[in-house]
Amino acid sequence: MALYEGIALIQEKQAVVLDLGTDYTKFGFTGEAAPRCIVRSEFWCPASRRYRRVHDYASADELYDNLVHMLHLLYFRHVLVNPKERKVLVVESLLTPTLFRETLAKVLFTHYEVSGVIWADSGRLCALTLGTPVALVVSIGAKEAEVCAVVHSCVVLHALQSQPLGARAVHAELARLLDEHAGAPLNLPDHVIEDIKVKTCFVSPRSRALQWASDTPPAPARSVRVGRVEVPGAARELCAEPLFARDAELASLPDAVLACVAACPRDVRRALAANVLLAGGGAALRGLRARLAAELRHLVTQPPYDSSLHINEFKFHNAPAHENTCAWVGGAVLGAGEAGAARALPREHYAREPRLRDWVCLLDNTPPQHPHRDHWDM
Amino acid sequence: MAYLTQPDYVKYICSCGQLKPITSLYFCRHCLKIRCGFCICHEVDSHYCANCLENMPSSEARLKKNRCSSCFDCPSCFHTLSTRATMAQPRQVLQDPAAAGDAKVESKQPKKMYYLSCFNCRWTSRDVGIPDQPVASGGWPERTNPHAARVNQLLDYYKAIALQEKQEKIERERKKFNIRGKYITLTDKTGLTGAMARNIAGLPSSESSSSAIASFVPSQASAEVEELPDDIFTKEVNLNQITSMPQRLASPEWQPVSVARLHPLAKLLSVKRSQRCRACDHNLTKPEYNPGSIKFKIELLAYYHVPEIKIISHEPVKPGATSALLLKLSNPTGHEMTLRLLRPEDVPPHDDRDEPKSIEKSLERSLNLDKDTTSFKPIERVPVYSATSHVTPPDVTLTLAQRDDAAEYDDDAQHDTNDIIMWRKSNKLALRLEVVTDETAEGGSPAVAKLALQYSYRNTVPPAAAASQPRDHTLYTTVILDLGTVSSN
Repeated sequence: MALYEGIALIQEKQAVVLDLGTDYTKFGFTGEAAPRCIVRSEFWCPASRRYRRVHDYASADELYDNLVHMLHLLYFRHVLVNPKERKVLVVESLLTPTLFRETLAKVLFTHYEVSGVIWADSGRLCALTLGTPVALVVSIGAKEAEVCAVVHSCVVLHALQSQPLGARAVHAELARLLDEHAGAPLNLPDHVIEDIKVKTCFVSPRSRALQWASDTPPAPARSVRVGRVEVPGAARELCAEPLFARDAELASLPDAVLACVAACPRDVRRALAANVLLAGGGAALRGLRARLAAELRHLVTQPPYDSSLHINEFKFHNAPAHENTCAWVGGAVLGAGEAGAARALPREHYAREPRLRDWVCLLDNTPPQHPHRDHWDM
Repeated sequence: MAYLTQPDYVKYICSCGQLKPITSLYFCRHCLKIRCGFCICHEVDSHYCANCLENMPSSEARLKKNRCSSCFDCPSCFHTLSTRATMAQPRQVLQDPAAAGDAKVESKQPKKMYYLSCFNCRWTSRDVGIPDQPVASGGWPERTNPHAARVNQLLDYYKAIALQEKQEKIERERKKFNIRGKYITLTDKTGLTGAMARNIAGLPSSESSSSAIASFVPSQASAEVEELPDDIFTKEVNLNQITSMPQRLASPEWQPVSVARLHPLAKLLSVKRSQRCRACDHNLTKPEYNPGSIKFKIELLAYYHVPEIKIISHEPVKPGATSALLLKLSNPTGHEMTLRLLRPEDVPPHDDRDEPKSIEKSLERSLNLDKDTTSFKPIERVPVYSATSHVTPPDVTLTLAQRDDAAEYDDDAQHDTNDIIMWRKSNKLALRLEVVTDETAEGGSPAVAKLALQYSYRNTVPPAAAASQPRDHTLYTTVILDLGTVSSN
């Protein structure tokens, strides 16, 4: 270990990986197999005397303050390192609002004076934990479920699907079912709902869900008493049903997966279906994977997919991480190698031109030969 | 005025535009400006365990993942675990009493064994089957992350790929360069590079990297997915056996689902922080190294340098009316201070007047030019507040004596009182002022008054080589006074 220390002195400081989720923040060092801390994305605000969530903001200034406080907490209470002159790998969704990205960059570069930031999207990072050339990443976060096809480390952008079917949708349904059972609005706080979900709820298999929808519902699972709240068996079983509820818009989770596959080039569709990875904290619900598999196998034989998709099997991967840290571990793997470090946006660069590359920005996605390039003096 | 549990009635405007009570402000003696936690640079100074108050060098802390090796937290309620001792009779082997004659006599002595126990929730390390330890501290079994091996494989694999990428790039560049080069080597002439030769011969191009790539097995997907257990619909749920979310997330590596898999959590270290001014890089605070000490080596708090204002009392604030306000000013410095009250509008803008400074300074600045630090200035904001009232500043210059701890004992107040100065006692001074409130102020809205302060400050920093700098400075600060709510007539 003495040798390691000697090298560490010469070498660059170990970078940190930051995954600022809506509910939980994952933070730790590159090259490690798990984050150092998973904490709620909130901080104590002494002025208003309550916890404030990082993602609750009305203006850029407010978000700036939130991020400064949150990162201070992470750096000095949990991970205990100097942020200065240290690289950061930021795990973000491809659909992160521009305001959030730009403000986070401003906080990291000007407030914490980090030496470089690597911006990495969670879809590719999840695929990185598998090592397979093709992966279909279904990541269920707090707010949204995103389906992202990663083919040879490239995201098929036009096939990207996103639906508001995250953990919040499950929480809302669970709260509704509990209220219905109690006969009065219980107004349970979010953490109690989460606690009930984590301890008692599961996703019932497809056959049972069909029975529930029919006229003869099955005998519900045992009911549980959590604190003062009586959780009926039906609520335990059916709280995740909104993820699979289909309507004319085909906006359920399995529909999103199939729509993503259908939008991909013809020759990778089978490979994608054979390499599905479920990631994100919302995917940790018991039975969710089995239910999704059953739904996918059933739906692919139904219109409108039976005419366009000829997929006979869906296969699922087990990532070398818990569901909620999957993207983080991908970030830790990427940030440890030289390849990741070379892709960092250095501080000097940001000083010259304080903007970030973004896949939706025409400045970044116009091909070099495109005639518009000449007009823009790029 | 700052209280522990009450709102801050008097707030100072920091040089970065934040409003803070004086107790959470710093004063940089080199820039002569008020700084706050938002516009200074925090640094990790030293690591220590908050439970055993043991210092840990930062390199050791890094190796131990910032965790104390002897203190543990309860995985169930996060209280600190205590080590308990029991007398344990060592297990006897009774099959062969004759052979084990001597050994038995020795092992008959009861041995002290230790286990961890939580005094708050009664969780013990025996609950989860951790064997008792023969030593009081340390020696607890360490668990390894079940995914660590696979993640290491991935790391090696991607490192090898990066290396290969780099080598190929170098190869390509060398080829380009060699074609233009003057001298043609044999390998170039035949179009044969070392790597290509190895490639043709079917040898691995470079030993370590390609072997890592070749031996890497991508993750295997399976069509079978884990179904729910059959008894899930009929089994009684025992909530005491299932962990809660905070319990799971406290150990991110394992995230145990069942209570039986909870393990003691090694206590996370704490850090002492030192603080630095961003503008001049001087330390504002620096703690003492000893974890037991709460003193500072350097402690440039605004509380010791900036005159403190306290509200004694005030008349209710009415729209369009004038009400009396009693303030107490005190001089915390060791030098006499002259004070003037101003309107905030009359404060000269502190537009970093570039007085001709010493040659060294300008040289330093020219050296720093190429570093291009302009865009990294900490964010400065226009302070956000709405002052409905303002204090009418009296046109007098007040003098405050220096702080003298011995003066506490003599109680004859100097009686140079007039209609503004109510009383005066050593370094303190009470003022009677008038607050004028706008006509437009609505009843029930918060009454906020603002006031600017001009004060003289003697800089006691040992001057640099060129001692021509003035030691006495005139500084300004603006305070926001919270006068309750505007009363509706």
